[in-house]
Amino acid sequence: MNTRNFIIYQSTVGIAASIIFPFYILFLKNVGSSYSQFGWAYGLFALTAAFSYPFIGKMADKLGDHLLLAIYSWGMAAILLVFPLAYEIWHVYVLQIVMGLLGAIQKNSEKAFLARAVNKETAGVEIGRYHEWTSIGAAIAVIATGYLVDFLTIGSLFYIASIAFAWSGFYVMKFRNETK
Amino acid sequence: MRKNRIILVLVYVLFFFSSVQLFHIQQTNPVFEDRGRLVSVKMKTLTSGKDEKDLIKIVDSAKRQNDTISIAGIQHSQGGQTLYPNGVLLNMKSYNKILELDENKKMITVQSGATWDDIQRFINPRGLALKVSQSQNIFTVGGSLSVNVHGRDIRHQGLIETVDSFRLLTAEGKIINVSRAENEELFELVIGGYGLFGVILDVTLHLTDDELYQIETHSLAFDEYSEYFQREVIQNEAVKMHLARLSVAPETFLEDMYVTNYLLSDHQELLLEHMNLKRDSTIAIPKLFLGISRQSDWGKDLFWETQENYTKRLNGSLITRNNVMRSDSTFMDYEHARKTEVLQEYFVPVDNYESYIKDLKAMLLKQPEFNLLNITVRYVEKNEKAVMSYAKQDMFALVLLINQDIDQDSMKMNQEVIRKMIDITLVHEGSYYLPYYHYASKDQLRKAYPRTEEFFELKDKYDPEHLFMNLFYEEYH
Ligand SMILES: Cc1cc2nc3c(=O)[nH]c(=O)nc-3n(C[C@H](O)[C@H](O)[C@H](O)COP(=O)(O)OP(=O)(O)OC[C@H]3O[C@@H](n4cnc5c(N)ncnc54)[C@H](O)[C@@H]3O)c2cc1C
Repeated sequence: MNTRNFIIYQSTVGIAASIIFPFYILFLKNVGSSYSQFGWAYGLFALTAAFSYPFIGKMADKLGDHLLLAIYSWGMAAILLVFPLAYEIWHVYVLQIVMGLLGAIQKNSEKAFLARAVNKETAGVEIGRYHEWTSIGAAIAVIATGYLVDFLTIGSLFYIASIAFAWSGFYVMKFRNETK
Repeated sequence: MRKNRIILVLVYVLFFFSSVQLFHIQQTNPVFEDRGRLVSVKMKTLTSGKDEKDLIKIVDSAKRQNDTISIAGIQHSQGGQTLYPNGVLLNMKSYNKILELDENKKMITVQSGATWDDIQRFINPRGLALKVSQSQNIFTVGGSLSVNVHGRDIRHQGLIETVDSFRLLTAEGKIINVSRAENEELFELVIGGYGLFGVILDVTLHLTDDELYQIETHSLAFDEYSEYFQREVIQNEAVKMHLARLSVAPETFLEDMYVTNYLLSDHQELLLEHMNLKRDSTIAIPKLFLGISRQSDWGKDLFWETQENYTKRLNGSLITRNNVMRSDSTFMDYEHARKTEVLQEYFVPVDNYESYIKDLKAMLLKQPEFNLLNITVRYVEKNEKAVMSYAKQDMFALVLLINQDIDQDSMKMNQEVIRKMIDITLVHEGSYYLPYYHYASKDQLRKAYPRTEEFFELKDKYDPEHLFMNLFYEEYH
């Protein structure tokens, strides 16, 4: 996978994540019945991520970034199918733990891939270009979603995001063998 | 590798459709709750109709499928009067057209989902006003008829007196006219009937002229109030509307009062200048004070003083009738995860007020946990037209705002105190209001409303299959 493919991949997952993010917060607020539960839901997310980084780091070097990215994509695709069905606070806690883990995988793999792919001399420019494209994608997605909610229910936004993640998983698996 | 990808996609598609299917099932069994979040009920579907045909269809299909229907306005009633497990929730909000205004006869016909605000916007430019409504104007006409509301007006009795006629979609699926001359029994049942006898379609109401009032305020002690009211308010023809507050601040608890009278101004030529309908004024400040008084005793003292001073400053100012009838309630909106705010309302005969407040005070002083935030007092003239009439005599109506936790223990504690308050009210020949949470016992309902048995018997007569249902019926029949 070259940097261009990687940008396509990251833009897709960035867009998918941006579609759900604002509504995801609303959703948590609705299911939880107090701010402390809201706090816990976020806390669990952050804690899981924190504890899983060392482990994920090791895995990244062993298994390769592609496989981890594929796990992230399919994992997100699956979890977003469960989200609309959650209605009790413990459902949300479990989902938050899984999301914490997946989020950590994505962050770590993103950085590891860039570190391996870019030239030390031109790293600034290359990473800059990478951020430019992925940020544009995310911005457009957030704005477009604002309009979409007028027509679609929040439930269907989760499904659209899930399909986008599934496609990204499908896409990233195309490259797996080439680098290994 | 290729194979893996394909398999993953297939598995994903399978999960995708299962999830959508499950989601769909969940959505069709939505959970509804009242604004106080004390009642939450899983209902079968939510539906609404824009015209008569839709509504007839909804009733017919519910009958065929043996479903129950619960009718809803904006659902500000607080005890599940618009809810019933597994029933169809019929939301009337979109059935809200203004159909006809006869300016000469001062009569208006509207669909029952219209709110007082909708009507006010329509009649205010034409110099007309409502005769009776709540102090706030957010409620629907159907919801207001069904509880037979009363408000600040002191010259027109309850809402029932201002209703000329309405059309009703009955449990048989037929549409009938209801008035004092036609189907009179239903006139007295449906008004104050909590949606149990059919769907109110369009309603014809008597209006009055919009007028300019001058505000007059006055502070007094609770034991002076009855006499003051009879001498200075009721006998003074110029006073058209009236409102009082009774202190819940620890320093003056159930002692101090202040009143606001609305007197017909001598300067009706200024009406035009004051005619613009008020928009929601700034709510941040009352919201802040109410917030502080929820938490602490000194907050309550502060809130009381501020309210009283603020009201005093209004002395002499001018306001139109329409604007008196659209006061603000949004500052009361309260969002807290574990707490909620509920209303209670007690009616007590004017002559018994003093002894009533004394007894109430003696009891409440023993209940330091009970968090009472506000009491307003209004007047409603005797009117026994409705079967479920609360105005068995000329009554003062006390509205209590109570802050409470929503866990089981607090509910129980509250219920105990509220039942004691209702007992005291009944001893003083009073009654209590039914749109709020069903803390009262069955026995208390029957004492407060002597025609309760008849009411439920007539329910069986007009709706033998129990098509129209709600938790009020469930709790008390
Ligand atoms: C902040 C606040 C202030 C209030 N102030 C006052 C006041 O000043 N004076 C006063 O008298 N009351 C007052 N109330 C009580 C209020 O008037 C009632 O709760 C009223 O029913 C609310 O109207 P709604 O449109 O929300 O009705 P809902 O709560 O939606 O419905 C109330 C009842 O009416 C029935 N219903 C509704 N529409 C129809 C229809 N089209 N056909 C047949 N049945 C129908 C429902 O089934 C239900 O039983 C107040 C309530 C609150 C929350």
